Amino acid sequence: MYAKLIFRNAKRSVKDYLIYIMTMTICVTLFYSFLSISSSYYNPDIGSEYDVTLLSDGLKTAVCMITLLLLFLIRFVNNYMLRRKKKEFAVQSVMGMEPKTIGRIFFAETAMMGILSIIIGIFLGVLCSQCMTAMLLTAFGRNYELSWTLFPDTVLLTVCFFMLSFFIVGIWNIHTIQKAKIIDMLSADKENEPELTQSRWILVIVMFFEFFTVWMLITGTEKAWFYYDSRFAFPVRMMFLGNIVFPAAMLLWSVFRLTLFCRKTARSKKNKYSMHTLLNGLLACSALNIFAAASVPALTGRYHLSWGAGTVRQYLLFLLVHLIFLICALIYLFGTFLASWKEKSPEHRYKGENLFFFGQIISRLDTASKSMTIICVTLTLAIFLFAAAPVLTGWSSGYLDMRSVYDVQIFSRYNNVYEEENLPQDNYQAITDFLREHHIETSYDCTFSLYLPDRNDFHNRGKYTFPIAAISLSDYNAIREMLGYEPISLADNEFATQWKTVAAKEEAEKFLAEHAGIMTDGGALTLSRHPYYNEAMGVTIYNSYTDVLYIFPDNVCRKLLPVIRNRYIITTEKITYEHAAELERLFTEKYPEQTEEGAAYGVRFRTLQVNSTKANNFILQASMLYGAVVLMVICLTMLSLQQLSDAGQYKYRFSVLRNLGVEEQRIEKLIRKQLSIWFGVPIAVAVAAAAIVIAYFIQTISAEISAYIGYTALLLQLGATAGILTVLLICYFLSTWILFRHSVT
Amino acid sequence: MNTILKLEHIQKYYGNEGNITKAIKDISFSVKYGEFLGIMGASGSGKTTLLNCISTVDTVSAGHIFLEDTDITEIKPNALARFRRENLGFIFQDFNLLDTLTISENIALALAIGHTPARKVEPLVSDMAEKLNISDILNKYPYQVSGGQKQRCACARAIISNPKLLLADEPTGALDSHSSQMLLSTLQSINEQLNTTILMVTHDAFTASYANRILFLKDGEIFTELCKGNDSRAAFFHKILHVLTIIGGGQSHVC
Repeated sequence: MYAKLIFRNAKRSVKDYLIYIMTMTICVTLFYSFLSISSSYYNPDIGSEYDVTLLSDGLKTAVCMITLLLLFLIRFVNNYMLRRKKKEFAVQSVMGMEPKTIGRIFFAETAMMGILSIIIGIFLGVLCSQCMTAMLLTAFGRNYELSWTLFPDTVLLTVCFFMLSFFIVGIWNIHTIQKAKIIDMLSADKENEPELTQSRWILVIVMFFEFFTVWMLITGTEKAWFYYDSRFAFPVRMMFLGNIVFPAAMLLWSVFRLTLFCRKTARSKKNKYSMHTLLNGLLACSALNIFAAASVPALTGRYHLSWGAGTVRQYLLFLLVHLIFLICALIYLFGTFLASWKEKSPEHRYKGENLFFFGQIISRLDTASKSMTIICVTLTLAIFLFAAAPVLTGWSSGYLDMRSVYDVQIFSRYNNVYEEENLPQDNYQAITDFLREHHIETSYDCTFSLYLPDRNDFHNRGKYTFPIAAISLSDYNAIREMLGYEPISLADNEFATQWKTVAAKEEAEKFLAEHAGIMTDGGALTLSRHPYYNEAMGVTIYNSYTDVLYIFPDNVCRKLLPVIRNRYIITTEKITYEHAAELERLFTEKYPEQTEEGAAYGVRFRTLQVNSTKANNFILQASMLYGAVVLMVICLTMLSLQQLSDAGQYKYRFSVLRNLGVEEQRIEKLIRKQLSIWFGVPIAVAVAAAAIVIAYFIQTISAEISAYIGYTALLLQLGATAGILTVLLICYFLSTWILFRHSVT
Repeated sequence: MNTILKLEHIQKYYGNEGNITKAIKDISFSVKYGEFLGIMGASGSGKTTLLNCISTVDTVSAGHIFLEDTDITEIKPNALARFRRENLGFIFQDFNLLDTLTISENIALALAIGHTPARKVEPLVSDMAEKLNISDILNKYPYQVSGGQKQRCACARAIISNPKLLLADEPTGALDSHSSQMLLSTLQSINEQLNTTILMVTHDAFTASYANRILFLKDGEIFTELCKGNDSRAAFFHKILHVLTIIGGGQSHVC
């Protein structure tokens, strides 16, 4: 009997469950497709020089962590379904059905819909996992073909995860139904008279925020006490001042308003308006604080401020907290702004259906500002993840191309060597033996030394004054030939410079202007007519903490102290992953990272570098995109459901308008306006906040972007991201609009 | 007195061939300017269908309805809303107020929808509120006031745009006896002082006794008509009960 009821109910209310099925299917699809990469049956042809297991474990962890967010969405959609069906539950209760039975019937219905979603989701997941494979193979530089494979372990994991989620949420639903009163359920769809009171969550937010402001003030004062110097440039001095004055102003404003508030409460009950004035002030101060906090990381790099990365991170945290508060306060006050505008402008208020429109928006904002804020913050994060993923992976792969230019790179460091006889002088014969033994042919092989221009600098180990090393012209040209560049020439008393790709051209020009001539142990040298080269030659060719390398004539170098011994090899065929791993083990045994004499050795294989970087890149990109899509789907579903769940109320309100003689076209226009505001406000706020964060992020790593990615490529990536977001948004907006129209007419 | 509303052989059928329900069989009557007409009848007698047809919410199957000289059965669908807005006022059993707006905004909405200049809206609203004795609740929300006050607000909203005809569908249906009495007195004074024509549908004899004339419907036809004339309200009330007893269904109210 009950089974029949469940089936009939499910069949009849499949339209009600549409949103539920849609959301669940999206969740399952995303989960399956991202997790399929980590399947033990997954074996894409990415070549013998790569190892796929590296990325599967990382990805599995990332996907599972992010998927926890989906639980929140499942609960939210279930709540929506519960609200929709309350009236039905009430009727069943009145008829004498046990609450437990009602709960179980609902549980069975949702489970049925859930199973349907899992089946559709896995099917779609198989399709989507093809895109993931395409993304993976593209990352590893391979062509791809579509293939239909169902991975049993991924299917099992997906089914288990979602069944468990349904079960937990189902138990919770049964509990909610059992606790609900019949009278409340009966009048659930008649709740057209909500209490227009605002929740107190903003008070909690303000309290947290005040705490952070106190912390920021203390930090600002402390940093000024320890680091302030009146010789600093004007912007730096302003930064120190701003980070004390703005938080202090904020706290003073709060204290002032609260004192006034306490006095007023004794006389009147206009608490709400006092709260709004307090928030208005805090909003303005928080904008100033954002500016002050953001200036710290920006100026640290530019003016080489000596506080560590910890301080920068601390200020990034302040920046984030202030940004979140700004969003909270903006959303909370949006209703107030709108209400006061309505009050002050009768010509807008009494124009057509504006009164109705304002009423709709303000009442909803008053009661739903909390969820709106959460949506806004989450959306900001999603947009940032979307935009940051290509930047970070572009940076990482660009850097890989710059540093991984040789198949084998052996390098040494003398940072902890204090006696000249302990300096590294080896020719790394073990490597030659290994390569011969394994029949690995080399096309280029160059072993060379780096010298100190002035022997007296050997004991100079200051981080900021570390000596620039020099290379002999013949070695430099050999390396250039290895990499396919034209050789350079120098006169006997000339020198030139080789720069890291990341070094700014202005910096190099400034350096060259200051170093037109140089005194070395081999005699005085003057700057060549072609003094500047910046081709990518890897990072091990430079001395520690320096971005530049001198190129001296060979006869000069013979008189200098050799301090670093490197060897670069290019093989005729790529070294396999196994050989690279074995050779790395052998090398580390013979040449440890830190010897007793102080010399440090290291080896880099293109195979290993490329493999680990690409795997990490892929994990990073996949998890960031997955996270962004999941967050985006959560936000848009919540926005959409919030509108649809109140369709009962809206139906009544729009019917009142019809009775008052408002034409259908005008009602249509009102619906469009209302949905545009409802979708538009959180999205506009989130886009604005994300734009600030992204602009700041890009500005902070502008050197790396121009060196490794290029601004055109970055703009293209950001454009593609904006395109995806717009398509997602349009899909959600249109489906909500259609369903909304359907439910109010 | 001139005729404001004239119904000619109105018929309304529901269903399709083979299964037709005749909600209104053949009804003709007319209403004069400033009249307070009540329509009574048992459930299923066709009174709400009749009101829906007059209010253009529903269409007739046959016949014509004239409001002044306009045949409302001939108005094109896209012009109906405008017609309703400019000519008719409504009072519903469940008030039909918007909970997102204050009482004054609810009243002003009718004016705003009718494109009344903004500067005239507030004086008109306060004037009307004074007449209906709801000035002190103008800034409250519907959920903060009593049922009687809500219905008076609905009443103010209905008549503020000076409709030619005020249609009331069971206006006291959701009110207690005291509130009902207050509302009916208000309707009566609107009728007498503002000379508004009112057409009220009710099944309650006490409510109907405030009208000047009553049409009794039975099975989709006019069963009889009762005029108040010079009778007192009490006498008229008894006459109504008597008719109801004859129609059947009213006896329980008397006993």
